[in-house]
Amino acid sequence: MECLEFRRIVGADPQHPGAEALEHAAGCSRCTRFLRQTLVLDERIRAALAVPVPPSARIRHQSSTATLVPGMDRRRWYALAASIVAGVLVGTLLWVSGPRDSLAQDLVAHLAHEPQALVVTEEPANARTLGRVLDRGDIRLRPEVGTVSYANSCLFRRHVVPHLVVQTDDGPVTVMVLRHEQPAGRVAFSEEGYSGTIVPAGPGSIAVIGPANVDLEQVTTRVLSAVEWRQD
Amino acid sequence: MNAPFAGKHGETAFARLCDELRPDLFRFAYWLARDREVAEDVVQETLLRAWRSRESLAESKAAKPWLLTIARREHARLYERKRFETVPVDDLVGSESPELAAVEEQETLDMRRAIAALDADYREPLVLQVLMGFSTAEIASQLGLTQAAVLTRLFRARQKLRRQLAPGLDPDPE
Repeated sequence: MECLEFRRIVGADPQHPGAEALEHAAGCSRCTRFLRQTLVLDERIRAALAVPVPPSARIRHQSSTATLVPGMDRRRWYALAASIVAGVLVGTLLWVSGPRDSLAQDLVAHLAHEPQALVVTEEPANARTLGRVLDRGDIRLRPEVGTVSYANSCLFRRHVVPHLVVQTDDGPVTVMVLRHEQPAGRVAFSEEGYSGTIVPAGPGSIAVIGPANVDLEQVTTRVLSAVEWRQD
Repeated sequence: MNAPFAGKHGETAFARLCDELRPDLFRFAYWLARDREVAEDVVQETLLRAWRSRESLAESKAAKPWLLTIARREHARLYERKRFETVPVDDLVGSESPELAAVEEQETLDMRRAIAALDADYREPLVLQVLMGFSTAEIASQLGLTQAAVLTRLFRARQKLRRQLAPGLDPDPE
């Protein structure tokens, strides 16, 4: 395979270049660099494409739906209205029969929106990005926390909070610094394959969440001692 | 025919499935329309149509491409025929709520503008591949294109983004 062909393949599907392309890259440093750069570009594309999603409870008022399709006849409109009612009923049924939203559930749901953050890596997050995230969260982070591989300022429960991923020997662990959440005490939870701890800290709390098999005790202690809260 | 979404249990299962897929559906609609309000309308209409046809869905794993197909049709049906005023791409991306825009990294916003400026022919395969995780064969099937055409569009989409946002990277093949 020639470099030109390699770059065409990688430029079209960098996640699946195929064995022949990888074999070429193994013997060509420029193409290896090109692959790495394209994968970084793809991460940036993925982050940009993941636009914030509005809350799921948003059901438009029937009158605005009516104006949506001005040419709709009365029978069709009734059918659509009935469907909206059915949808709301099912949503209500799910809400009533399912578990109530809790901080733990919201945290796990938030993680599900950013699965790309949870990769095993030795690569630290961009220092400038991490600095901005910490500044926005009004915190400092001592280096003993370990390798922070991901940092983002996330909108969570109507507040912008630092969302960090810390690498541990057992794999990546998510840390959310929740200045505005004040649990009565330490909360341990297990949700959808994750285990987590929410610990009162500073003016709010810190949540540490990892895969169910990870012992969070040690990393929680490390994180708690590494976070410095700045005054409001 | 196996109909996993028939009956009362099926209704509940389908509502749950729609709830799970709604973020992907919204983002797909957003990148079709490049407008949050329009995307919400498309999602609303898509879910209503899907709800009415849910019993025709034979298996859960087919739900995502099925919903995306409905969303594309809804977008075309409801909005492409309307004549919107031409709005600069910067204004489209900048119309995000200030609260949300504030939490986004500048780098991400720059990339978002560049993606929004891509022709739909390049943008849609990129969204399906990078965000939805579709293979190039699945994208070809979804868009009614040959796989070779999909590969070309994906390559050109990345080439345009790279040239615009990462000019220091190694040059692309022409």
